Amino acid sequence: MSEVRQINKSKFAVSKVAILALAIVFAAGLFVVGFDQGHIFSIVYGEQAFVDLTIHELTHDMRHAAGFPCH
Amino acid sequence: MKTLVFIVIVLISGGLAGLVHGTVNFAIVEPYLDQAIGLENESLFASGEAEDTLEFWAEYESYRIWQKSGQVLAGVILGLAMGSLFGIVFGLSRNSLPGKNVVSKAVFLSVLMWFTLYLIPFLKYPANPPTVGDGETVVLRAILYVSFIIISGIGVVIFYKLSKKLNGNKRYLSLVGYAGLMVVAFIAMPDNPDEITAPMNLVNEFRFVSVLGVSSFWGSVGIILGLFWKKFDKTSNLEDS
Repeated sequence: MSEVRQINKSKFAVSKVAILALAIVFAAGLFVVGFDQGHIFSIVYGEQAFVDLTIHELTHDMRHAAGFPCH
Repeated sequence: MKTLVFIVIVLISGGLAGLVHGTVNFAIVEPYLDQAIGLENESLFASGEAEDTLEFWAEYESYRIWQKSGQVLAGVILGLAMGSLFGIVFGLSRNSLPGKNVVSKAVFLSVLMWFTLYLIPFLKYPANPPTVGDGETVVLRAILYVSFIIISGIGVVIFYKLSKKLNGNKRYLSLVGYAGLMVVAFIAMPDNPDEITAPMNLVNEFRFVSVLGVSSFWGSVGIILGLFWKKFDKTSNLEDS
């Protein structure tokens, strides 16, 4: 006897634009929280940003808590 | 569902789950961070690198407030980032995921991603409190950690696709294949080069609450995106298989 099963299927197709936009958010957010050592602010403040580590200090506690390598 | 709606619900889901993560961390991880930083300060005083003065504590208080206030904000930013990755993977794979409805499919995927992108890498490179970790090795440690996550992430995608091509009990072979890959990676990848000098009970308790915090994110993001998807995707329907 064959069994008919009902499954939930969505016909929505994820566009390339959506994938690109979310991929940018993913990469930027991950870099800010997990890896920035002054790189982002150095665009504006130059070498001083690597001394101040403003974003690094802001994300410091989450960096440790989420398992990212830190000093 | 329009593309813009998809992007918005993915970002809101990630942001809200990140808010949960940041709040949980603020409540249960911060005490351990304070304790570890206290040990770090004692070490600075003992080595003569810093002096136990009012100026020191004034400066310390100002940057600790900045660090603590960033916990929840960083949780939201990290939530947006990881939620975006979750949204992309869910958007592309949802019809092949097991589950009776879109919410259970989203929860299944969030558990799978928690396991492969967080828990398995955590077993090799566990979180450490502030006293552990040499500034000189931070780039090496970041490369090792990210590499392990990528190996685990790509591994699970390959073996999950393989399992879809296999029938019956043969599907378990893909699980064995993923486990084998991760065992090889576990043995082949170098250990964290930094020596742990902090008390192990502090380190272990910190790691435990750290796992609870990250798990609160993955537990939330699947449920929230699943519920949003159910509400906004009018193309979902039941089909016979």
